[in-house]
Amino acid sequence: METAAKLGFSLAGIIITLLLPPYLDGIARRVKARLQYRRGPPLSQTWYDLRKLFGMPSVKPTKRALFTWAPYLALASAISAALLLPYGNVVPVDFGFNLVVFFYVVLMVSVFLMLAGLTVQNAFSHLGSSREMQIILTVEPLIAILYGVLAYNSGSLNLYTILTGLHLTPSLVLTYILLAYALYVESGFVPFDIAEAEQEVIGGPLSEYSGRLLGVFYYAIHIKRFALLWFFVSLLTIPWIGPIGTPEKAALVLVLQFILTIAFYPAIAALEATNARLRIDHVVKMNTRAFFAGLIILAMAFMGW
Amino acid sequence: MVTTKDLEAHFEFECKACENGRCAKADVEKILSEREGLRDFYEAFKEHIKDCKRMTYGQYMFTIDREILPKAVLWWHNHPKFKETHMSTAVGTDERPLNGHFIYMPFLSVQVEPLNMDRNYWVFLRTYLPADDPSFPSVAEKLPAALWIEREVKDLLGFKPINHPDPRRLILPEDFPDGVYPLRKDMDYRHSPITEPKVEYRETPDNTTLVPMGPAHMGIEEPAHFRLFVKGEEIVDVDYRGFYSHRGIEKTGEGRLTYNQILFLAERICGICGYQHSVSYAMAIERLADVDVPDRARYIRTLMLELERIHNHLLWVGIAAHMVGYDTGFMHAWRIREPVMWLVERLTGNRKQYGMNIIGGVRRDILDYRKDEVLKVVKQIRDGTKTFLDIALNTNTFIKRAEGIGILPYKVAKAYSVLGPTARASGRKIDARLDQATKTAMAYNEVDFKVPVYKEGDVLARVLVRMDELFESLWIVEQLIDQMPGGDIMVPIGELPEYEETLGFTEAHRGEVVHYVMTGEKNKVYRWKVRAPTYNNLPAIPEMLKGYHVADAPLIIASIDPCYSCTERVQFVDVDTGRVKVLTEAEFNELSIKYRGVF
Amino acid sequence: MAETPSYTERLKAWNRFEAEKFSKKAPVTTPYPFIDIEKPPEYRGIPHINPEKCIGCGACVNACPPDALIMEWDKEHGVKRLTYNAARCIRCARCIEVCPTGAMEPTTRFEIATDNKEDLVEVVEHRLAYCEECGEYLDFTERQIEYVKAILPKEIFNMYALEDRIGLTREEKMRKTVVKLRETEGNAYPAFILVEKARDNGGEE
Repeated sequence: METAAKLGFSLAGIIITLLLPPYLDGIARRVKARLQYRRGPPLSQTWYDLRKLFGMPSVKPTKRALFTWAPYLALASAISAALLLPYGNVVPVDFGFNLVVFFYVVLMVSVFLMLAGLTVQNAFSHLGSSREMQIILTVEPLIAILYGVLAYNSGSLNLYTILTGLHLTPSLVLTYILLAYALYVESGFVPFDIAEAEQEVIGGPLSEYSGRLLGVFYYAIHIKRFALLWFFVSLLTIPWIGPIGTPEKAALVLVLQFILTIAFYPAIAALEATNARLRIDHVVKMNTRAFFAGLIILAMAFMGW
Repeated sequence: MVTTKDLEAHFEFECKACENGRCAKADVEKILSEREGLRDFYEAFKEHIKDCKRMTYGQYMFTIDREILPKAVLWWHNHPKFKETHMSTAVGTDERPLNGHFIYMPFLSVQVEPLNMDRNYWVFLRTYLPADDPSFPSVAEKLPAALWIEREVKDLLGFKPINHPDPRRLILPEDFPDGVYPLRKDMDYRHSPITEPKVEYRETPDNTTLVPMGPAHMGIEEPAHFRLFVKGEEIVDVDYRGFYSHRGIEKTGEGRLTYNQILFLAERICGICGYQHSVSYAMAIERLADVDVPDRARYIRTLMLELERIHNHLLWVGIAAHMVGYDTGFMHAWRIREPVMWLVERLTGNRKQYGMNIIGGVRRDILDYRKDEVLKVVKQIRDGTKTFLDIALNTNTFIKRAEGIGILPYKVAKAYSVLGPTARASGRKIDARLDQATKTAMAYNEVDFKVPVYKEGDVLARVLVRMDELFESLWIVEQLIDQMPGGDIMVPIGELPEYEETLGFTEAHRGEVVHYVMTGEKNKVYRWKVRAPTYNNLPAIPEMLKGYHVADAPLIIASIDPCYSCTERVQFVDVDTGRVKVLTEAEFNELSIKYRGVF
Repeated sequence: MAETPSYTERLKAWNRFEAEKFSKKAPVTTPYPFIDIEKPPEYRGIPHINPEKCIGCGACVNACPPDALIMEWDKEHGVKRLTYNAARCIRCARCIEVCPTGAMEPTTRFEIATDNKEDLVEVVEHRLAYCEECGEYLDFTERQIEYVKAILPKEIFNMYALEDRIGLTREEKMRKTVVKLRETEGNAYPAFILVEKARDNGGEE
């Protein structure tokens, strides 16, 4: 019974991971359209786009193997990142020290994107890659610090243990706020979509990609965004719902996670729609400030606040 | 007292165009005393001036020696009293069939008093270049505004600007052979030679990388090639290669377009400021034919021009928002714009390319009940734009991207003769609607409006100038509707005089549009030169880009509201041969006249 | 019988269906290719040649700025072909203004997307007038002659004896002139001199 429930939740997790992200994008597109008084595409438009891209051959401008492999590696990283998270009370892939693995695996999506941009001889790819790198270099330390606060707060590096072991302190509230910012930046939503800015660097690292490989990259990016959001939603739900003993309660948690994820997306879309894209130096400045704020929070956590 | 006749006595050749006494041979003394500054110029360059005449109201021409061309241009441009004088452009003409010479003729808009159309005037500095040596001392050496102009005549007519700082090709494609000049009258329009391409890009400076923005780039709607030399993300220098949309319609149109047909071609030079081109061209022809356009036609034209300005400024602000990734602003600006398009569609019959003009007036009258509709739309636009501006100018990220970016100082703006809102955002008080005598074709002298000027010179200032102008335009439209006189909407024009020249101009939403027309025989046009405002604004772009981020480049480029096809596509139409393509039909007409007694 | 409203009334009555939706906030866009869009009556759409009214005079061809209208002669088969190409047309409606018989008819159609370019072309063929004397075709069409006959006053026909000459080729007319001159003056000049004379006299008249 126990294993069956576990298997069921894992399966649910896998299905959600693979199917939901493009629909989330569809929701965002629809919400943005409504804010712009447009009709907007159907909810499964992102799926249609991906299907079209998957069905088309890619033009390869270079012989480097990394160019071909990077999208698949990024997709693998994104999927494994999503599967490291709890669905209900079950984490589909659980090795222990999940938080560290999650941090790295999410990072790998950006890294593969960046490396893919550097494999080709294209000034825009390189510009996009260097922007991606600057974002990674400034936002990842911040995320690392915030994860550190979480780990210190709960006394564990295992994701599920952290989620169940958090206790409410002022530093934790501040961590949540800063984490929301950091994860938003990491996801690359509009004021921070600098690396892939179409008007400026015509898609940045993606500018030489086409067809199936581009589709895989898009899919990976959507899953990565979903994983980061799911992580944040889990932080909001699981610690405060009490011990999850029965499969019924776990199912309730899963539904709650699901609904919250979908509910967050319109808010994100609204933020995207009402902002212009920032410049890389603005972002670096903001991230640096956030990093020092993170250090203060870490100190607060050590002091026990 | 010296008269033009005496001056002509020293002139070493006879001009076929002047033979019949068609040159306005007024008394030199009288001409010189008409406007402030003319006499000073005459005194300063007395021994080099061969001829001076008044072409039409507020347009004066001096025929000068080519040696003093740079001095003369700079005399006007740097005149201590006429601060806002700018070099408009120059025309090169192959007049060898007429008098065996080439003509190179820069012209300037002299601003005695800014925004006073009865005191300001145009000055044409005509120089004759011998057919075997069409060279002249370069003005561009000292005045960057002439950079492109001189490269253009070098490409198309084979003139040689001596000491030009950048004598690369501007207009002709890379694979066009040297020594073939498309605008010379002896080149057949079907001739399109090709050789090995020869690329003349500037070398990448040391320690920089090259970011090629273009020829096709998402941030630029049309083909244009900005080569950004970049250190990290900072732009160090810029090289521009454009004119990919130049089609040389002059040659394909040669021989068959009548002056009424050119009007419709003129309207299609630009998809955005088409009506401005159409009015400019019509104004030139009307001045040549010396007809008074009826008041009602002038008012309707002004109304359409202002409606065009309104929707174009909204279009532009949308594009600017799109360039910084603020798509909501883009969508809303275009949503607000749409009712104007609908209104215009009902007034003229089309959303764009109104086809409203005809030489001597307009084609459609505005029915009286439509006035309420216009006022309704004006109100809708005013409310919508106010809300839009409230939101857009309070969007932190948008302001952050626009403020302090792409600064164009006043001096640079003047040196490059930047026009329109771009110039006004840099503190230049110029506006061709009021600066020059537009009153023959438009009714700007009878309405009241302000010309907004900002001093900051950055992208934000350009946004604000345009938005202020938009509200002024709404106010102009209301006044025009109020004051609309009755009467005819069109007056037929008779024969055009032969070999007369004049200038038509309007202030498009990007700057001053200039159409130079020289008539030929049989109501044909011998030379038609179009200068769109982007032609003057684009060379200043490298100055604006230097020192800013690659990320800002699309926004800065978009901030002058560039229109490449406007600048490049239709440069000239020369119609001189009088050959008719649809031979038999015209033959029928001609023969029927010839043989009418035989019937 | 229901009274047909005047043109101005019809203009007033027309209302853009999107305009209503526009005031009702979102959404302002329409699922355009899946619905029909009606253009206002003032809209200058693609013109259309009414072959029943067209006389083949070519006034539209002379006025057309982009060469969307062209005219060809096929003297062998006695056909004058007027071709309208909507793909070249710039919708300036000059042809509608200059048409003497109202054969160019305005429409409000604007959708010309097609997978076959020939859909965009309208061809009107006219029969050329046939000279019965020499058996050659004239430059103008039978309808042009009919039109001229209809609008010219009777006196002019009588004065120049047009009735029997209008359907002849130029050469035939010249020959007739020569014959006539010979008859009236009884001169023995060679024929070409007489033709020259006739032409000169004609030019001065």
